[in-house]
Formats: sequence, C-alpha cells, structure tokens
Amino acid sequence: MRGFAVFFVKELRELLRTKRLLILCCLFLLFGIMNPAVAKLTPKLIGLMSEELAAQGMTVSAVTVTSMDSWVQFEKNIPFALIILLIMFSGIYTFEYSRGTLIPLLTKGLSRAAAVLSKCAVVMLMWTGGLALCFGLTYFYGDFYWDNSAVHSLFFAGFCWWLFGLLMIGCVVFFSSFAASSAQVLLGTGAVYFVMLLAGMYGRAKAYLPTRLCDSLSLFRGDLHPSDYTAAAVVTAALTAALILAALPLTKQRQI
Amino acid sequence: MKNILEVREIRKRFGSKQVLDGVSFSVPEHCVFGFIGRNGAGKTTTMRAVLGLLRTDGGEIEVCGEPVRYGAVPESGLIGYLPDVPEFYGCMTAPEYLRLCGEIAGIERSALKTRCSELLGLVGLEKERHRIRGFSRGMKQRLGIAQALISRPRLLICDEPTSALDPVGRREILEILRTAAEQTSVLFSTHILSDVERICGRAAFLEGGKIVLTGSMDELRAMRSDTDLALTLSDPADTEKVTAAFPQASLSDGRLIFPKASEKDCAALMAFLAEKMIPVTRLERHEADLEDLFMEVIGK
Amino acid sequence: MPKEIREYLPLLIPLIIVQFVLLGCALWHILHHSSYKRGSRVLWLVVVLIGMEFIGPILYFLLGKEEE
Repeated sequence: MRGFAVFFVKELRELLRTKRLLILCCLFLLFGIMNPAVAKLTPKLIGLMSEELAAQGMTVSAVTVTSMDSWVQFEKNIPFALIILLIMFSGIYTFEYSRGTLIPLLTKGLSRAAAVLSKCAVVMLMWTGGLALCFGLTYFYGDFYWDNSAVHSLFFAGFCWWLFGLLMIGCVVFFSSFAASSAQVLLGTGAVYFVMLLAGMYGRAKAYLPTRLCDSLSLFRGDLHPSDYTAAAVVTAALTAALILAALPLTKQRQI
Repeated sequence: MKNILEVREIRKRFGSKQVLDGVSFSVPEHCVFGFIGRNGAGKTTTMRAVLGLLRTDGGEIEVCGEPVRYGAVPESGLIGYLPDVPEFYGCMTAPEYLRLCGEIAGIERSALKTRCSELLGLVGLEKERHRIRGFSRGMKQRLGIAQALISRPRLLICDEPTSALDPVGRREILEILRTAAEQTSVLFSTHILSDVERICGRAAFLEGGKIVLTGSMDELRAMRSDTDLALTLSDPADTEKVTAAFPQASLSDGRLIFPKASEKDCAALMAFLAEKMIPVTRLERHEADLEDLFMEVIGK
Repeated sequence: MPKEIREYLPLLIPLIIVQFVLLGCALWHILHHSSYKRGSRVLWLVVVLIGMEFIGPILYFLLGKEEE
C-alpha cells in the first residue's frame, strides 16, 4: 500500500513535469468548447453557403440550433479525445519495462502489483478529470446559449462514456502486461474494440456489448432509457475489473 | 565466517543455449567479491537470479540465510542493486530520485533526509541540481550506487559498474565501492581484471556456465606461483649451452623462456650462469597476474 | 455585426487562449529539445505552425515529443 501511494505520486509528478497533464487539460478543454462552438456556428456557415446553393437552385430553410446539436457534437468528439488519451498512455508500462527504470524500485521492495495498479489509477484519474472537464464545459455552454433540459439522460450518457473509457484503459493495462511495445498495446486495444463492433452485428448481442455505451444519441433523443443500458454497463464494469485483475499475475510472470 | 550470499548449482537455459550450468559460489561478510567472466558468460544472468528478477531452471540461492524465489522481492533493504546500464526517471533530480527510492524502501521521513545527503556526498553528486535526463554515464553510475545503498543493504550487487567509463570515472567508482565496502559486502561483475586486482578480496571466474575458479586473491595468486623466467643472453652463441643444461627452456624472440620455474629453479639457473661465466643482459621473473590466470582458465 | 460577435465571444476567447497555450508549449518544447521521437526540428516547426489550430501541437506532442 505504501508502494502504491509513493508510486502514484511519482507518476503524477512525471505527468506534470513532462507537460502531459497540461496537454491533456488543453485537449479536453478544447473538445469541451468545440462542441457548442461548432453547433453555434453551423447556421452561420449554412447561411454563408445558402447564397451559393440558391444560385444552384437549392433553397435552404432557416436552421435553428438547440443544445441537442451541441450534445451530438459531444458524442462525435469524445471518442477522439479518448483515442488521444489512449495513445498518450499506451507506453506508460512498456516504456518502463523496456528501459529498465522499474528494476531499481522493484529490488527495493516495490511490488509489481502496486506499480501496475498505481499507473492504472493515474490513467483512470486523467480520464475521469478530462471527461468531467469536457462534459462540464459542454453542459455550461448548453445552458448558456440554449437549454439543456431538452436533452434526455445527459448525466447518464456521460457516465456511460466514463465507463467505456475505463474499459479501454483496462485493455491498455492488460495488453501492457505482456506486450513488448506501446504499438502492440494500441493494436491489442484496437482489436478489442473491433471485435466488439463485429459482435455488435448480431442484433441480440447488442444490448450486452460495451459498445452500446457509446450510443448516446438514442439516450439524448429519449429513444432508449438508462435501463436499456444496464446490461451493457454491468458487462463493461465486469470486463474492466477482469482485465485489470488478469494483468496482475501476468505482470508478475513477466521477465523484467 | 558467515556467508552473506550462497549460490548453489543454479542453472538457466535461454533457448538452446545453456547459459548457467551449475554455478556455485559464496560471498562472505565484509568482502569485495569480483565476479569475472567474458562478455556473455552469464554474469548478468547470475546477478538477476540472485535478485529474484529471473526464473532459474534449478539450484538454490540464499541471501543472509533466506532463500530467494523468483518474483518475490528479497526482504526489503537486504540487497542493493546497480544494473549494468542504470536508467532512472529523467524528469527528476538526483535528490528527488533518492527520496523516491527511500520512500519505496520504507525509510522514515526524518532519517531519509540525512541519508540522502550523506549518499549524495559519498558519490559526489551533492552539488548537482540538474535533472537526471542530462546526466553522463559516469554520473548515472554514481547515482546508481547511491540508490543501491539507500537502505543500508547487507549486500551490494554491481553489474559491470566500470565497463563503460573512462579511466577517471572508473577510478572514482572503484573508490566509492571501496568506501561502501566498509559497511556492506560487495559483489561486482567485470571483465576488467585490473579493477578486480585493485579492490577485491575474493574473486570467481565464470566460464562455460560454471565457476571454474574461486578463492581469495592470495589463493588465486598462489595458483600461479610457478612463474615464468625470461632470460636474455648477451651472446646468442651461448644459447645452446644453456638449453643443453635446461631442456625445458624454449627460445622465443631471442629470449629463453623457462616455463613454470619455481624460486629454486631460478636459483639453480643463476648458479649455472655464474659457474659457466655466461654473460647476461637480462633475467626476468614474470609475475603472473590475473589475466594470465584467466587466459589459462579459459584455455586460451 | 459587433453585436453578433459579442454573442460568440464566450466561446472564442477561451478557444483562442487554449490554442495559444498549446502553440506556445509546442514551440517552446521543440526549440528546447534537439532530438525527437521521429522527424526533425524544421519538420515539427512547420507542422506546428501550419496546423496551429490545435492539430499541429497535438500531433507534435503525440508523435514527435521524446519520452523522458
């Protein structure tokens, strides 16, 4: 436990010193502002284009923007933020293993489990903070310009994305326990996502797959209710826990 | 005398290569132990096995009487380890890194501060304010020794601490190790034999996956007490007279070499030369050093 | 027109600030380091300046910044 805390602080300090924390903050800030910005600017852009379109014989009716448009942008953009976060942290384990920076600490009594878990906790903390920032900004502007109450199950949709992100981070932790490089970790994580997409083609499996959590649109519109996501959420949480737990003995086996 | 480290018959195979084939040796208390072998002889493999970082195929390792198992960290603070190419977190400074190590090792906060400055002084990094990223090989090596010593280990294991350094850096590291040895046993691997002769009390030669020779430095030197004699005559014409009396002598480079000549042989030769009034330019007794011994041991 | 712009200011001001912080960080980092994971100093300066609307700096920090 002492090892966990000490290593956690060390990881945070590294994030701060290598400017990763700053970059992540900027990134999520950016995504948070872009969502309402794009929604807000859409009618302006269409207005500019409409003259051109009119010349071609097309008529464009006036577009009214609501907070829904902003939240649709949120659903579109948050996967990119997650991907960037995953790329950024894909080497957090393999880099230490291949350079051998962990060896001096291991010989001083740091347990491998503590190292694995504290790194995992740091990445999850970053995702939690980043998502909260992004969500919070979109929410704030949604109320500032329009009205968020027109959109259903906002917070639950945010929670779904958070859970899905944790699963992806769990994949990184799992693949890092035996992969040799960050590229392999990313490949494995990508493969997991791909498999889930394929499995999603079977209509019956859909309700149980973690990818269901990414479908915020149905929630926003009210087509689906949070209760329709319960199965997928439980599966995701269980899978995440299983991946992280499996990583512990695998890392213990690993030749460092 | 109690042994700090006891290695018995450890084996390790990598693929088809039997790297360690029954390595046994022991390191007594308060001793600088030189672990000698060619590159790729298995020195690093042995050390990693001692640290529990490597799974062996057989054999036993005991540190201070405690068996070492793979994956299980040796009881904290028992062993300090300096890897062959030590790598640290580049964004930290040396004191910060030492603090991290101390906290991991579970040293009390108040004691840690004095311990850190003590060690930084020992390795000569107390004035270094830069981050580790910019450190030279020698500085990293010194920081490596400091981190290895932080928990006052009973055994300090250094993997080729001097191999990549220039002569000045090497001398500094050896001096630091000598100072450190006042409080702990040191096991250090090398292929530089003069380093061993300079600071070690005992040594072992690793070759072909086995310890081919081990003992205290005096014992090792004694093994080659039959040293060679090299005789250079003023007049080459006298050569035959000498070889007739001493058939074991062989001629090379205009010198007569008497292999494995004891002190008695030497006296006999001098008596012969004096009796026959053979003029001599040079009579040398070639003291065998570790290198000769090493060459002999590996059969070259 | 000014009134319309004022409507967008709450979005634009933070956006511009973040953009310049990222740009400044990327430029500072490129100029203070001589080795990169891939690419060269000139390449990254060009990338960051051309894609200064976020893309450039983010690409640099993801792909070009050396790990420490």
